[in-house]
Amino acid sequence: MQILKKTELAALKKAQELGAEKVIELLDKKGLVGRGGASFPTGKKWRFAFDAKADEKFVICNADEGEPGTFKDKFILENNPETLIEGILIASYVVGAKRAFIYLRGEYDYLKGNIEKVIKSVIKRSRLDVSVEIVVGAGSYVCGEETAIIKSIEGFRGQPYYKPPFPPVSGLWGKPTIINNVETLTCAAQAVLFDDWNSSLRLFSVSGCVDNPGVFELPVSVRLSKVLELAKPRGKLKALFFGCFGGCMPYVDMEMTPENVCGQDCVHGSCSVIVVDDSRSIVDLCYVIAKFFAYESCGKCTPCREGTVRVLFLMKKLKDMKATKEDLALLEELAHHIKNTSLCGLGQSATNHIITGLKHFREDFEERIL
Amino acid sequence: MKIKLDGKDIECDATKTLLHICKEHGINIPTLCYQESLKPDARCRVCLVELNGKLVTSCSTLPSDGCSVITSSEKVIKARKMNVELIMAGHVKACNIDNVSHNISGMLEEIGLQGIRFDPIRDYEQDLGSAVVREDNKCINCGRCVRTCAEIQEIYAIDFASRGFNEHVAPYCEHNLADVACIKCGQCILHCPVGAIHEREHLFEVLRALKDKRKKVIVQAAPSIRATLGEEFGMPAGSLVTGKMVSALRKVGFFKVFDVDLGADITIMEEASEFLRRVGKGGPFPMITTCCPGWILMMEHFYPEMIKKDYMSTCKSPHEMLGMLTKTYFAQKEGLNPDDIVVVSIMPCTAKKFESTRPELESGVDFVLTTRECAKLIRHFKIDFANLPDEDFDSALGVSTGAGVVFGASGGVMEAALRTAYEFGTGNSVTKLEFDQIRGLDGIKTGSIIINGKEVRFAVASGGANIRKLLKDKDKYHFIEFMACPGGCIGGGGQPPHSTHETLVKRAQAIYHADAGKGLRKSHENPVVKKIYAEFLDKPGSEKAEKLLHTYYQKKSEF
Amino acid sequence: MSDLVLNILRKVQDRDGFVSEDALKRLSKDLKIPVSRLYGVASFYAMLHTKEQGRNIIELCGSPSCYLNDGFDVEKLLEKEVGVNFGQTSKDGKISLFKTSCIGCCDQAPAMLLNGKPVVNLTKTKVREIIKKCRS
Repeated sequence: MQILKKTELAALKKAQELGAEKVIELLDKKGLVGRGGASFPTGKKWRFAFDAKADEKFVICNADEGEPGTFKDKFILENNPETLIEGILIASYVVGAKRAFIYLRGEYDYLKGNIEKVIKSVIKRSRLDVSVEIVVGAGSYVCGEETAIIKSIEGFRGQPYYKPPFPPVSGLWGKPTIINNVETLTCAAQAVLFDDWNSSLRLFSVSGCVDNPGVFELPVSVRLSKVLELAKPRGKLKALFFGCFGGCMPYVDMEMTPENVCGQDCVHGSCSVIVVDDSRSIVDLCYVIAKFFAYESCGKCTPCREGTVRVLFLMKKLKDMKATKEDLALLEELAHHIKNTSLCGLGQSATNHIITGLKHFREDFEERIL
Repeated sequence: MKIKLDGKDIECDATKTLLHICKEHGINIPTLCYQESLKPDARCRVCLVELNGKLVTSCSTLPSDGCSVITSSEKVIKARKMNVELIMAGHVKACNIDNVSHNISGMLEEIGLQGIRFDPIRDYEQDLGSAVVREDNKCINCGRCVRTCAEIQEIYAIDFASRGFNEHVAPYCEHNLADVACIKCGQCILHCPVGAIHEREHLFEVLRALKDKRKKVIVQAAPSIRATLGEEFGMPAGSLVTGKMVSALRKVGFFKVFDVDLGADITIMEEASEFLRRVGKGGPFPMITTCCPGWILMMEHFYPEMIKKDYMSTCKSPHEMLGMLTKTYFAQKEGLNPDDIVVVSIMPCTAKKFESTRPELESGVDFVLTTRECAKLIRHFKIDFANLPDEDFDSALGVSTGAGVVFGASGGVMEAALRTAYEFGTGNSVTKLEFDQIRGLDGIKTGSIIINGKEVRFAVASGGANIRKLLKDKDKYHFIEFMACPGGCIGGGGQPPHSTHETLVKRAQAIYHADAGKGLRKSHENPVVKKIYAEFLDKPGSEKAEKLLHTYYQKKSEF
Repeated sequence: MSDLVLNILRKVQDRDGFVSEDALKRLSKDLKIPVSRLYGVASFYAMLHTKEQGRNIIELCGSPSCYLNDGFDVEKLLEKEVGVNFGQTSKDGKISLFKTSCIGCCDQAPAMLLNGKPVVNLTKTKVREIIKKCRS
């Protein structure tokens, strides 16, 4: 697998030889984009921080992999942490940061010991004057959002705030900060070093009603049928859910490009696919997802704080076959409202499953009405 | 920058938010969590507008070149309505909406909310304190109280706790406000749009006392009330309503209507003398005023080392001094049994409700009512306030000077004290009675004056954050006045909620106007004051004065 | 020694089993952060507890992949075997039961965290064994 290739500090050496600007150009050329879900061009992000004038800059590795159905970052943390650390060091070198953080989700606390050992060893060998500190999260999905990570590290409640200012210009403690996903930083090291680095390869996390769940490294334009061939679905396919936040679609054999996924009203995100077969009810699964978002809402803004719990109550009514037509209409209205007026990405995607569920599987919902 | 606002091409300042730009063009966007002078939070999502077709919060969004902003499309109105519906669904009804700050009732009407399709889910216990009451079930999570306590007052008694739909405002570890380091200033009350925080009301107790034929219920009104009470009856901010206030209180049925300004004059007699004694001894400096029980709590909780260092004046606050004199001097003169006297103070202040229960302070006051409660009382008796004739305070304890009335605004205590201290110290009057350098609404004001060849440096701060700032430089000064509420008592936690800075400015102007209109401008010229000392107290700092008019302080937990 | 609040709170919990009021006050003094804010932070996170917990903490994943692979209703089994509802601690103080969001073991579902360490591919037998171990 490309993601498991080790760079053995050669990437950092090359980066230092090239100099910061050339590294950014190289990443632009290689087409490296963020793998945390937003697909923002990595070189472009680093350039903002590189250009910003400040006495201190920071790098944060977002290891708060909280999207249900996503476990690819864990795979990297377990199998290629050295290259990740090197990627962090390269990022620090390029933007001029002396302090880097790995925001490691609390649920991966058991990986901390080994990662710390690797950090120590890599830094010693690199002789770079950068500290890499692990901040362990404490069970909050919203802290995967970049402004929430910043607040969390600063010692506040992990609640997102509005942008601008954008973190590369003003982030952690008001200083230029780049926040990149685990996979992105690992790829950054590999992209710098390997001439034949293939930017189209992604890590797909596939789980759900399948006999062979796991992390698969595949081109982003892979056909869905190929993905399923590898994952071995158990029963007759009903739907694919892109994590909890990406919405759902019925099975359509198509190339898994972001554009195609968007065409089904879904969000590609970080390539998490949850497979649902016809032994399962879409409505019941949407109830589980509604519970997730109501529980993980940070509580700051009205539509998400008040809305997600109301969505949960309505989904419960549907689940228990106690809902009316008006309830369904209200659910749909609420779903769009929360999506359109929430402050951060969590609220803005907290009802994608409902909106796409209603679009593609409306009969399932209408069946549950009194 | 050129943008399109509701279809019209306009020029705007690219550094101003859409909210401000709209206001400049006469479009008032409804807001809830937005607080003037604080950085926007964008949490309530009520101030939505369309920016190039997307819904954004106008409080936090800057314009982009050539963008199109729409402020009242169907999309915008529907979105605002739904957020308000969601907000009010969380809020248990039957609240003191008539008591609260500008936002919610006007906003509800503007938004046009008809029905609420969601049930309330909050189930918190009430937090009943002696001064401030929290009713979490009414809270709408706008965060204004938290930010006021943190950013304006720097007390940090409350913050948000838990997450998601369980997010609620609480003191640490879910304690009651009475059990944590809260200074009871009530600034949170002024900023709460729904009355989820409000004063502990004592109207029932006062009404019961009024009905009790055995009791002589005496009311005394603070200096700043006369500059704010009118607002509760639709009069413009800055209306000086002294005469009507007295008339209304008399109609309510109080036995006597006394003037706390007289108590303020007595406070000056004691405090100016106290200060001059320190000047003579060469310290300790600074001497800090103690009329503000919010400041006293702040000191006891966060700066208790100041107690041993003897910075604090030992003077009680004016209404407490007057309350004691009512139950001793006045009672004796009139042949009344002090046990039959009930003293009710009308105060701009919620901390004074706590003050009268302090164990360290022998209180002559039985109940404290805020300005808001006073208005409620007047309305209860269906008194037509605006059309009342002017009446005078009862003269026995109702004559006051301009020095007494300036207590109502930040800097007033200092001004009054200096008018007297200067004359006591030098034998001459100050050349200008108005100390302009410490008038007005700046958070920190300073000045100096020469008394017998010695430079006396004085400073004034109002609002918690300013107090903390000035305390860092306190050793530069000889005399400091601290008021916990920004602007002083005119901005107190018990006042009608003021939506704008302008209101405070007008209220202060009314106070200064009242001072200028008085025949007597210095506390020591007050004939009743002279009489009280001649007949009863002997002189400032006498044993009797110490016993009745002075108090002490105790360290309290910083938490 | 980290100067970051989140790490410090975690250390306190690792030492005491939870973040107590006394600990919050001491931290407030040491870090010069208002105690109301520290409580606000501690109460925000699902894995930080401001009340005393059982000796063993079970956090069962309730997210879609575990739900879809749950052939035997792990939730009900746990509640039955431990004898409490989720969110509570057993009377003997040995086990606290929590439901969590995705713990990243979606390819080994159903899964749980036992004292912070994942226990995956749960079966009825495995669950009963775990509870037995916690009780001993």
